[in-house]
Formats: sequence, structure tokens, C-alpha cells
Amino acid sequence: MMKCLLRKSVYFGSTLVVMFFLCSGVTFSQGLDKEISMEENIPTEEGLTVKYIASDLNGADLALGQAEPYTVNLQMQDLSFPNGGGSVLEVAIRGFHNGETIFFGIKWSDASKNDRAIAHAQFRDAVGLMFPLETVKVISPEKPFSPRMGDRGKAVNIWHWKADWEKELHVAGGKEHMEDEYPNMFTDFDFSPDPIHFHKEAFDSADLMAGGIAAGSLLSLPRGRSVEDLNAVGFGTLTSQENQDVNGKGSWNNGKWDVVIYRPLSTSDENDVQFVPGMSTFFNMAVWNGKEGDRNGQKSVSIRWRPLKIETVK
Amino acid sequence: MTLVHNWHLGRTMEYPYFESRPEHQFAAVFNINRCIACQTCTMAHKSTWTYSKGQEYMWWNNVETKPYGGYPQHWDHKILQLLWDNGNNPMEWYTSAEDKDETKAPYGLYNGDTIFELAKTKGLNQVAVGYIPDDKEWRFPNIYEDTAASEKTNYETGPAAESSELPEHKRWFFYLQRICNHCTYPACLAACPRKAIYKRKEDGIVLIDQKRCRGYRKCVEQCPYKKPMYRGETRMSEKCIGCYPRVEGKDPITKGRRMEARCMAACVGKIRLNGLLTGDYKKPDPKNPMDWLIHIHKVALPLYPQFGTEPNIYYIPPRWAPRSYLRQMFGPGVDEALDKYAAPSRTLMAVLQLFRTTQTMLSKFEIEDGEKIYESEIMGKKVEVYNDTVIGFASDGTEMVRVKVEEPTWESDEKRMITY
Repeated sequence: MMKCLLRKSVYFGSTLVVMFFLCSGVTFSQGLDKEISMEENIPTEEGLTVKYIASDLNGADLALGQAEPYTVNLQMQDLSFPNGGGSVLEVAIRGFHNGETIFFGIKWSDASKNDRAIAHAQFRDAVGLMFPLETVKVISPEKPFSPRMGDRGKAVNIWHWKADWEKELHVAGGKEHMEDEYPNMFTDFDFSPDPIHFHKEAFDSADLMAGGIAAGSLLSLPRGRSVEDLNAVGFGTLTSQENQDVNGKGSWNNGKWDVVIYRPLSTSDENDVQFVPGMSTFFNMAVWNGKEGDRNGQKSVSIRWRPLKIETVK
Repeated sequence: MTLVHNWHLGRTMEYPYFESRPEHQFAAVFNINRCIACQTCTMAHKSTWTYSKGQEYMWWNNVETKPYGGYPQHWDHKILQLLWDNGNNPMEWYTSAEDKDETKAPYGLYNGDTIFELAKTKGLNQVAVGYIPDDKEWRFPNIYEDTAASEKTNYETGPAAESSELPEHKRWFFYLQRICNHCTYPACLAACPRKAIYKRKEDGIVLIDQKRCRGYRKCVEQCPYKKPMYRGETRMSEKCIGCYPRVEGKDPITKGRRMEARCMAACVGKIRLNGLLTGDYKKPDPKNPMDWLIHIHKVALPLYPQFGTEPNIYYIPPRWAPRSYLRQMFGPGVDEALDKYAAPSRTLMAVLQLFRTTQTMLSKFEIEDGEKIYESEIMGKKVEVYNDTVIGFASDGTEMVRVKVEEPTWESDEKRMITY
């Protein structure tokens, strides 16, 4: 009898829940476990000023040294499943432009260098910069704009620097392969002095049967840059652009990543954020710590927009 | 989370998306009793889809020896341990007559958390409980091959005959054939934060979109059966594709008709039957061999139904393994299924003949009566065998196969009986 009641209560209970949602007009936001808080639509008061300095990539480190650093506080991403991150608490950013190119210098502490993502449980270090795609003057609870990944009708442009892409810039062929992670992958059980030729067909067959390569994914192919240029209109919508315009360089020393990301102030791509000296907009940041298994929404993230001012050319 | 009905569990359960069943569902019945672990299915898969760099360790189809074997190693022990949650989730079933329903709850009522529900109960901040197997767990896909489990050592149990009597052998192992289950509620699909994984409306095959995938490995982490796999070479994940070009009828051999997957068609032991289930589980077609075996006769059972994904590869359990172990693996339907398989009905005997007689997917069968050829008693139950003829039809109504219960034999001419 008890079991019968339990069974009926399961059916009855679920019917009640369904009826409640149907009657209340509540729409499901699938994957969104919490509502975005009011605070998230109030940008911070202080922000980053991108100074005008007549320098180029060669003098970027020196020029960035002259720019004021701005610290962005980070926290665990706990809004959209899967939650995670929180191992990096702050990241310092500086910026300058020379009238043609805009440079961002980013530094954060990370005791472990994770610059490969080939083994099953191997994840990369990375940093992301995000800008509203269109020029936005005001962000407020009355004029909301999600500081997480943008929103429907409110697209963002994301620049994503990846530690493994950086490393691959400097390897022959522009990409690391399975045998870099597993140097003995073909030779576990044989003693051929020239194993690569012994297994040449398997070695050369990757292109033939690789969905990622056939789909032309930048992740699967040599791409000649360390920063990916992306757009998003909310969680789960991140999409790589046809035209990649953002470049970067980075190095890891004594437990610190030092990354420079740069792009021409203006481009001809309608999916890119456009910078004009003298303008103001907003930016936001996230950092991924590969050692902690960070990837996708499992990241240390800033949950408020930060003002970004671009100095006029002097 | 929304509420969806899972007929394996006999109840509604929580899942991140709404219930949306395909028009037809890719499914298969594997008769474990007949498997000889020749691995022809494994090699058919390997030589078709995963022979290339970065896929060396990938076995979308594998056959492992239970209870110790597993690919990746100990996948089911690990998931069961996570789901057991230190005894907080005892995974019980209620199986009295009032807990059952012919279509909605054929095995009874599962009173425990699924992988989705436990993640929510524990506040895990992800859609399901799971883990990513590390490199060494993917190695040696056939580890513990033919290793038997025994309560006692060989010395203690004495002659083998004493430990190998039905209904339960004291020393036992069996082969478990595994591919992607193309679940009705896939955990990989639910886990993907990018919605790069989708379930096809026309045949229920679950695929990873290689244009959308960004190699996050959430599918690898949260599929309880561990069938999505990460390909380091392309930095993205891949999984069993159900040989969908064949299922669509693109292979010229079947002249546009739906064709069984490679691992199914290659089966030497004739243990596999591949086909499409009727999309609406409440209205099974008694003339569809898949619907009949799974929904109507209930002789084939899902693998670990308590995970809650409603997997669509069904197994006829091995007769000799301990029932408690089988109930854990295939749910409470095991006893009924084994009773029916041990002393097969006239229809079951006929339908079992359809296994591996054609590469074309059969969507209808008919039986023509034949004469009685054999009579016996099995486990106290009378069994009569009739030499019926079973006819299998493709979905367009074409007769594809006609086979009798008694295998035809003939004696060679004496002139050919020369010995050298």
C-alpha cells in the first residue's frame, strides 16, 4: 500500500509541478540554475584607460610598463552549469594603443604551466577578454547587458588566448601531435629503430578520418596565432569567427603568466568590436587554470563589466 | 531541470531538457548467451571508423569479460560507487504487481536517484555525477579476459562440474558487448555546455557536431557508459555514430533500405539484431522484432537502467551468472527474462532465428506454423519446439529473409567422403 502511494505521489506530484509551470507562465531557462543578480548589471566605477603611446609590438613590453595596471577581481563561475573555477583570484591588465593597434598586457599568477591539451585529462591555461560588440554607453539595471557571455540581441566579441596555441606557434608545422604527448606511442611493444616508417599509414591518416579537420576547426588545424576571435550571445553560443584578426604572445615565468593580446583598432569585420581613440566602452575578463581542470564555464570570472577608456591620439 | 518519463525506471525523472522522443529509435538486442568474444564486432568498428591517428585507444565497440574486465577499466564499478554515494542512495526497486505497468513501468519502480538526480541532490554544480577516466584506464581494453569470479579457490571448490550447475554457476564470467547506447536521455548531450551533441529526430542516433565541439570533455566526464572519447589529435571528442550512413540506407548493397551497423552485421556468433524501435514506447508494434523482444516479450533488458539515461542497447542476460549480479546490471526484469529465454516460447524461438540472417534492418516479422519436432523439460518447465518458418520484412514491405527453426542439413555424397 505504501509503495502504491509513493508511486501515485510521484505521478501526482509531477503532474502538479507541470501544471504549476503551465499556469504560471514561467519559461524555463535551460541550463541556467540561478537568475542573474541586479549587481551584475552595475559596472564597476573604476576601469582601464588605454593610453596613447607611440610604440609597436617590439616595444610593447616597455610601453605596457608605462601604463597604469588595473586589477580585475575574479571568482568562481557559479551561474551556468557546469560551475567551476575560482582558483585564480585576480588578474592585472594594462593597455596602450599607437593610433593603429591596441595592445593589452595581462598578468596573473599560476603556479603550474599547462600548455597542452592532448591527453584525456589535460587542460590548457587561458585568458579571455570580452567586449560588447556594439558601442554601449550605459549599462545599468534599467539597461541590462549580461557581463557573463552577452545575451540574445546583445552580442559580445571575445578574444581567447590559449597557452597551447601559444606553444604551437613555436613548433614545427604549427601544431603539436599525439606523438609529442606520447613519444613511444607506436613503439610500446616493438623495437624497430625507425617506428614512424613502420607505422607510416596510421601516422599519415589523421586527415582522412578526422571530423575536426574536415570541419575546418581552428582547434584541429595549425592556425598561426595564439588568440581566437569569437562571438557569443549568451551561454552555450560561443562561436569562432570566419575572420581571425587578433594576435598575441605569452610566456610563463616563475609562476606567472605574462600575455600580450593585440589587434588593429578597427577592422573590416562586422563581427569585431571597433575601437576609436577617445571612445569609452566596457570589458570583462576570465581566466582558466588548466591544472584545476578549467575549461568552458569552469573558469575564474569577473561578474561585472569594467569601463574601458581609449585615449585620444596625441 | 524538467520532468520526463523514463519507462526503464517506471517513473518520471529530472533531466535538463524536455521529453522529446525520436520518430524511431536506433536499438539492438545482444544475446549475451551466444557471444564467444571473438571481437569481430570490435574489429569491424575499428577498421571502419577509428583506424586513424589520435584514435588508437578508441574502441567505440568493445567486448569485455565481466565481472572484472572493463573498458575503460572499472567504468561500471566506478559509476556504481559514485551512484551508491556511501549508502545514501541504495538504488532499490519496487517490483510488486501494483508497481508495474505494461508499458510505462514494465520492470517496476526505481526508488533511488539517477546520475542526474544525485548531482542535484548533492549540489554538484553539474548535470550528472561522473568522472574522466585517465590514460591508464583506457589502456588494455580486454584486460581480465576470461577471468572468472568464484566464491572459493579452485582447490576449495573441487571438480569444475560441481561449480557449474544451473541456475547459478559458482564459478562464472560472461562477455559484455558494449557500444554507445544512443540513450533516450543522453548524459553526454545533457552535459555539453555548447549543445554540440544532438539526438536525431528520425532515428534517435546521438552525434557530436564536429563544427561545434570545442573539446571540453564534459561528455566524456558525464556519460556513465564512457562512450564519448577525446581525440588529442584534433582536440575534440568523438563517439559511436551508429553507422548512420548505413542506417539511412546509403550503402548500395541494401538498395536504399536501412542497413544494420557494421559491428552488428559482422557478428560471427549471431548474437546481434539491430533495428529501429517504434518511437512511442506506449504503443509497441507486436510485429516489429525489436518492439516484440524488448517491450512485449521483455526478454531483452537495458544495461544499468538505474543510471537513468534510458539506454537503447538491450541484452538477453547470461543464464549462468549470479542473479544478484545480473539484477544490478540489467534491473529487476532479469528473472522474468531468463525464465522466458531458458524455456523459449514458440514465438521467441522463431524470432531468435532472425539474428544475423540479413544486413537489412527488419521492421516486421511473420511466423508460419510448422510441425512439432522436439519436446523436453527445462528447469521444470515443459518445452515444445516447432519447426516454424519466420519471415523478416524490410520497412518497405519487401521480404528479406525466410528461415526455419530447424537448421537444414544434408549428407554429402559418398564419393566426396574420401580420406587421404
